[in-house]
Amino acid sequence: MRVSTRQVQKQNTRKKIMETAYSVISNKGFSVPSSVIAEEAGISHGSIFAHFPTMNDLLNNLLSDFGDKMGARLHMLAKKSDSVDNLLKEHLKVLEEYEAFYSRLISEKNRLPDEAKTTFAVIQSTLALHFSNVIEREISKGTVRKLPTHMLFNTWLGLVHYYLMNKDFFSDGNESVIKNYGPELLSFYLKMIKNERGVYE
Amino acid sequence: MKTCIACGMPMEDISDFAGNDPGKDYCVHCARPDGEMQSFEEKRENLASFIVRTQGFNENAARKIAEDMMRKLPAWKDYFC
Ligand SMILES: [Zn+2]
Repeated sequence: MRVSTRQVQKQNTRKKIMETAYSVISNKGFSVPSSVIAEEAGISHGSIFAHFPTMNDLLNNLLSDFGDKMGARLHMLAKKSDSVDNLLKEHLKVLEEYEAFYSRLISEKNRLPDEAKTTFAVIQSTLALHFSNVIEREISKGTVRKLPTHMLFNTWLGLVHYYLMNKDFFSDGNESVIKNYGPELLSFYLKMIKNERGVYE
Repeated sequence: MKTCIACGMPMEDISDFAGNDPGKDYCVHCARPDGEMQSFEEKRENLASFIVRTQGFNENAARKIAEDMMRKLPAWKDYFC
């Protein structure tokens, strides 16, 4: 099927708006007005509305796209992880890659349209799938303490999210919190959950 | 690469497919013991109880998330009109 030049142009503009919105929101948060996104993308304000009638339409598209991308990355990395150490190392890598936008999402999600909650929940459920597979295998081998899966999972996320949500206290300017603190968080968490004596509890 | 039409999981290895059959469009986690794909209600309940077990969410919230996850998948599109 032949795609007309006009259609290509239209798709390019749409892509440009999405990419610009992603980076502007990463820097300034979700409350940024669409006029700022238009200006940053070098297009007219009206052109945004031609593609996304409301700001919520733009946000929903952006969030769903983000969820798909991050979910796919987690799937790919997690499939190769055979131990909890490796899985969480990979999780930190993915978080570092999407750190700015992800931090905005977890800090502001309760003020955002429902799609934001959905995106967040789907990302975490993808992670929970791989986490539970790996951790339950380690528990049955006796290498991780016999604790409830959801508490092991929530403790890890609680720790990482605390640092991300308070990045202004932990890092200077735009330095990555994950890069600076990831190794410390990981080694501390592993010390807490590992069954050092290697015995069944 | 194929992704499961019922849960979205990427299916890379033979063992990811229902019944180790790469001709199938759904994964090993979405198959019933007899090899057929689970029903909408079965999948929703399985996903929801999985979410409760692994993330500790409240049951209603978990069921809502399960539906949101299913909403985007080709196997269930007729259930969300
Ligand atoms: Zn599946």
